[in-house]
Amino acid sequence: MKQVLERFAHNALALLAVITILFFMFRLMPGTPLAAFINDNLNADQQQAMLAQFGLDKPIWQQYFIYLGNLAQGEMGLSFFQRREVTAILLEVLPNSIILTLSSLIIAYIFGVLAGAWLAWKRGTWIERAAVPVVLATRAAPEFWIGMVLLAFLSFNLGWFPSGGASSPGLAYTSNWQRIFSLDYVQHLALPVLTLALYLQGLPLLLMRSNMLEVMHEEFVTMARMKGFSEWRIVISHAARNALLPVATAFALGVGLSMGGNVVIETVFSWPGIGRMLVQAVSVHDYPLAQGAFLMIAAVLAVTNFAADLLYMVLDPRVSHGRRS
Amino acid sequence: MKRRSLMGAAAAAAVAPKAFAQSAAEKVRKINLYTWPQAALPQAYQASQLIAQQWRQLGLDIDVKPLQRQAQTALIWYSRDKWDTTMWRMVGRPERADPDEFVYSLFHSSYADKGYDFIGYKNPDYDKLAEKQRGQIDKEERRKTIFQAQEMINRDQPYAFLVHPKYPLAFNKAVFKEDTVVNQTGVGIRNIWTFTTIEPLGAQKDLIINSSESLNACNPLYIGGAVDSWITDLIWDRLMRIGPDGTPQPWAAESATWADDTTIDIKLRAGMKWHDGKPVTVEDAIFSFMAPAGDKAPMYKPFVTEIVSMEKTGDLGFKMKLKNPNAAFFTATLSKINLIPKHVWEPVLKDLEGKPENAEQLKEVNRTGSGPFKIVRWMPNEEIVLEAFPDHFKAPRIARWIMRIVPNAEATLGMLKRGELNFLGFFGGDPEVLVKFAKENPDIVVRTETDVGFEFVAFNCRRAPFDDAAFRRALSFAIDRRLMVSAAWQDFAVPANSHVSPVLSYWHDPAVDNIKTGLAVAKKILQDAGYRLSGGKLYYPAGKQEKLTTE
Amino acid sequence: MAAAASATLPVLRRMAAMPLRDPFAFAGIVIYLLFAIVALTADQLAPTDPMEILFTKAGKVAANLGPSAEYPLGTTNLGRDIYAQLIHGTESALAVGLSAAVIVALVGTVVGLVSGYFGGWIDALLMRIADMALSLPFLPFVIVLMGFLGAETSNIVLAVVLLLWPSSARVIRSQVLTLRERAYVEAARVTGASQARILFVHIAPNILPLSFVYAAIAIGWAIVTEASVSFLGFGDPTNVSWGMMLQDAFSSQALSRGQYAWFMPPGLCIILVVVAGFFISRGYEEVFMPRLRGR
Repeated sequence: MKQVLERFAHNALALLAVITILFFMFRLMPGTPLAAFINDNLNADQQQAMLAQFGLDKPIWQQYFIYLGNLAQGEMGLSFFQRREVTAILLEVLPNSIILTLSSLIIAYIFGVLAGAWLAWKRGTWIERAAVPVVLATRAAPEFWIGMVLLAFLSFNLGWFPSGGASSPGLAYTSNWQRIFSLDYVQHLALPVLTLALYLQGLPLLLMRSNMLEVMHEEFVTMARMKGFSEWRIVISHAARNALLPVATAFALGVGLSMGGNVVIETVFSWPGIGRMLVQAVSVHDYPLAQGAFLMIAAVLAVTNFAADLLYMVLDPRVSHGRRS
Repeated sequence: MKRRSLMGAAAAAAVAPKAFAQSAAEKVRKINLYTWPQAALPQAYQASQLIAQQWRQLGLDIDVKPLQRQAQTALIWYSRDKWDTTMWRMVGRPERADPDEFVYSLFHSSYADKGYDFIGYKNPDYDKLAEKQRGQIDKEERRKTIFQAQEMINRDQPYAFLVHPKYPLAFNKAVFKEDTVVNQTGVGIRNIWTFTTIEPLGAQKDLIINSSESLNACNPLYIGGAVDSWITDLIWDRLMRIGPDGTPQPWAAESATWADDTTIDIKLRAGMKWHDGKPVTVEDAIFSFMAPAGDKAPMYKPFVTEIVSMEKTGDLGFKMKLKNPNAAFFTATLSKINLIPKHVWEPVLKDLEGKPENAEQLKEVNRTGSGPFKIVRWMPNEEIVLEAFPDHFKAPRIARWIMRIVPNAEATLGMLKRGELNFLGFFGGDPEVLVKFAKENPDIVVRTETDVGFEFVAFNCRRAPFDDAAFRRALSFAIDRRLMVSAAWQDFAVPANSHVSPVLSYWHDPAVDNIKTGLAVAKKILQDAGYRLSGGKLYYPAGKQEKLTTE
Repeated sequence: MAAAASATLPVLRRMAAMPLRDPFAFAGIVIYLLFAIVALTADQLAPTDPMEILFTKAGKVAANLGPSAEYPLGTTNLGRDIYAQLIHGTESALAVGLSAAVIVALVGTVVGLVSGYFGGWIDALLMRIADMALSLPFLPFVIVLMGFLGAETSNIVLAVVLLLWPSSARVIRSQVLTLRERAYVEAARVTGASQARILFVHIAPNILPLSFVYAAIAIGWAIVTEASVSFLGFGDPTNVSWGMMLQDAFSSQALSRGQYAWFMPPGLCIILVVVAGFFISRGYEEVFMPRLRGR
């Protein structure tokens, strides 16, 4: 329990550091944030009023604490351009990003784990020799480029998938849940998920493969082999279970990491997620919105880091035993 | 005096170019030409490269500097004395179909410090013309003044006008009856006239249009971005509308006429209703013009400051009294101010009184209008859905108007092909591709319209050498306009040399169209003004000094 | 001196010999060398300025030309030589990749050494900072940096360094922890060698391969990051890079036009360089990381 608290404090502190860095980065930038408005209707007084409205006329340390206080209450201020609560705007798009991330990660990890175990089993064959560079290449290709090429072939040319967005024009749903589980949504989700999964499967695959190779040398596997179990059975029942632990940790970490990386995929596929919101906010210099979107991604990252820490503690006997003794 | 100094310079040049350079004249310093990155505006970027190539041949050092949009705005708009030249653009809007806005605000010296005259062009003669045309209710007289203004700008060349771009838009004729699509002068087919008359042919009753930007706000007292006005246009009525021909026409008003130079008689159309079913009254109309007058709608305030008083004259009639005669009033104000229901907004504005917030920052905006469409749903970054308002006097024939947010051109065409879109309201890609696409998909009809707006190179008239009209003329005329059209805008543009677009055929002065461009012309102008070439570099006329510390 | 040599030389020799033992690493190094040669001779290989607007003999812009002897990959829709852009793109890739690699290796190694060798509060502090750096979402951070601080390539390098130094420092630190206890280090300590000498002469050479692994990884990350950021429109507008080419191709609709010669080569180049980094790092990992060596 003490350990859990320690890890929690750790991650919370790191998040606070990120918030602080971000805040000062935004405030200490050259030029006034109001330069984002090209609006000759505003005279000097009105500009001053605007600064006051966004709290930008106070000393910077004061602004910082006001900001922290508001943040603690879940308030991130008003978007410069949309004039709406940043929190509300972000919560509307967050589910789309989470669904995109989770479904591609799940597909990538199921595929990666199976294929990785299989490749470990096939070690030394030409299949393995050919597969490893191919997998490395999928990890090396820029996501947006894979997306571009898939979109061009599968959507524009063959017409198998919609060209973008999250649902067909004008479809109304009674609730967000109904929308998410509709066939239409799944159809729109398919291509971005596929692209992302293609990019993400490399890590679990290679991880699984090398863990398997390592585990298969350990004593209990040798024991099993001596007992005369078949090779495949050893792989499944002994090696795989142990090799899975680091993969599970990687999965938890992957949620946070790819939430941030989704920025490009969401742009290519016009997916209404938090990454695209960030890109859009940055490009029009909507400071509060950009800051909020960034923080929300950072918060997801912190939560998943914490989850990964916990998972590691629970799953890896070496860590917990080592600490206990 | 001038001749002597010229001769002196020439004599010095004859003796020794080096000595001349040091003693008599100063070399024209390196000039920065700011532009957008290729990724943001490929045409303007291409144009800046071509222009730099041509200017270098005049003996100038040109540095082309692409800046991201925000950085450029910060520099050009907010540090007005710190730049030389920049690529810039003025975009077309329906209310810019009246020449007043461009003629007045772009070059009137009162806008030089903060407003639209960001280049700092100050010419008392021009100010007089700009003010004069605004007060001329007589159309023929006003036209003469506007011609004079164009000629003056042609002479002074504060901008090097490049082109009026042509924007291709498209729709699917298998879904909509082709001849029910209306083209609006200087705007194109994406306009309220099309949206109210376009007729569906089959089962698809929804018009699905794209936008590359998302909607910022949907508020009758605030415009946050370009797309916002597409939507507010349809939800809220105005007394007048800019018609397909570019002139204001009665819309919610049955009639609006000048009683005298400063008084307008307005009669509302009978039987109009708000989307909540209540009738539209004269009180509502008067309230709509009073609401922005306070401090609660700063963006709309400038459009009503001309109004001195309003007075109800009957069940449907009211009178508007102005400070000065104003020729552009029907376009600039009556076609711009949204009619809003008094029963909704009066309490809202009362509630805002004494608070620092204004109506632009409202978190909950009541979107009851009286326009041909009402809002049903708005999902940021995805789509906005409007539904036809059957009680409107110009009730649409389509059932719904749906705008999808599609950030990239490639996906836009994909969607058009698959029927996920059936109306192209904006196209950010290569126009050639669109034309080719339409050839391969015969149901797609492309309509192209020349813009009221224009693309140009702005010269900072505050700084040498651009404080010299001759120098500006030379640089402007060095630019081959046909090359601009073909090499930068891929023939989707017409050459420009005026702030009044040729699509406004009544107001555009054809006399300024035929400018002679070319390096020979430019070199001659420079030579005549006393500039000298030495060792391939351009020098100021003798005695002229820059007197500025470059950035 | 003899002790130092005994620690250093075999490592370096093994490092140099490794590519001969591992065909992947060999391939990786060959790819790197090829790209480096192309970058260094870019002006000779592609004399055309990559941003110059080209004209046909008839005086029209040479736009959307297909591959030909004159323009091996054709031209863009605005009349630029694609081949020249591709070749000159290697220069910027090399610049971004190498500077990121050197800084990551340097920072990671120094922090790892100091942290692992001295331990105590320095170790605790450095590792906390590493934790914090790891909780920054990477790509969003780069975007914010580029969007608000200025579209300069150095910001990309900065971000890649911020992202990668913690992991390299951590791994190097744990390696230092085991090395510290080795017999020859112990021996050096007993003979009265100074702290600095032990650290830099006896320990540092042994972790060089690890620094090298992270340098190789950083090259790939930097290039992909530059490409992604350029693709989103936040890149340095004056820099000709593969990312800028892809962005240009995408927004100018090379896909619709079927200009494969425009949007395939830059993507493939990125893949090749990044894969080369993977190959090399895997090769060194397998040879030098004892955990994996035993398989």
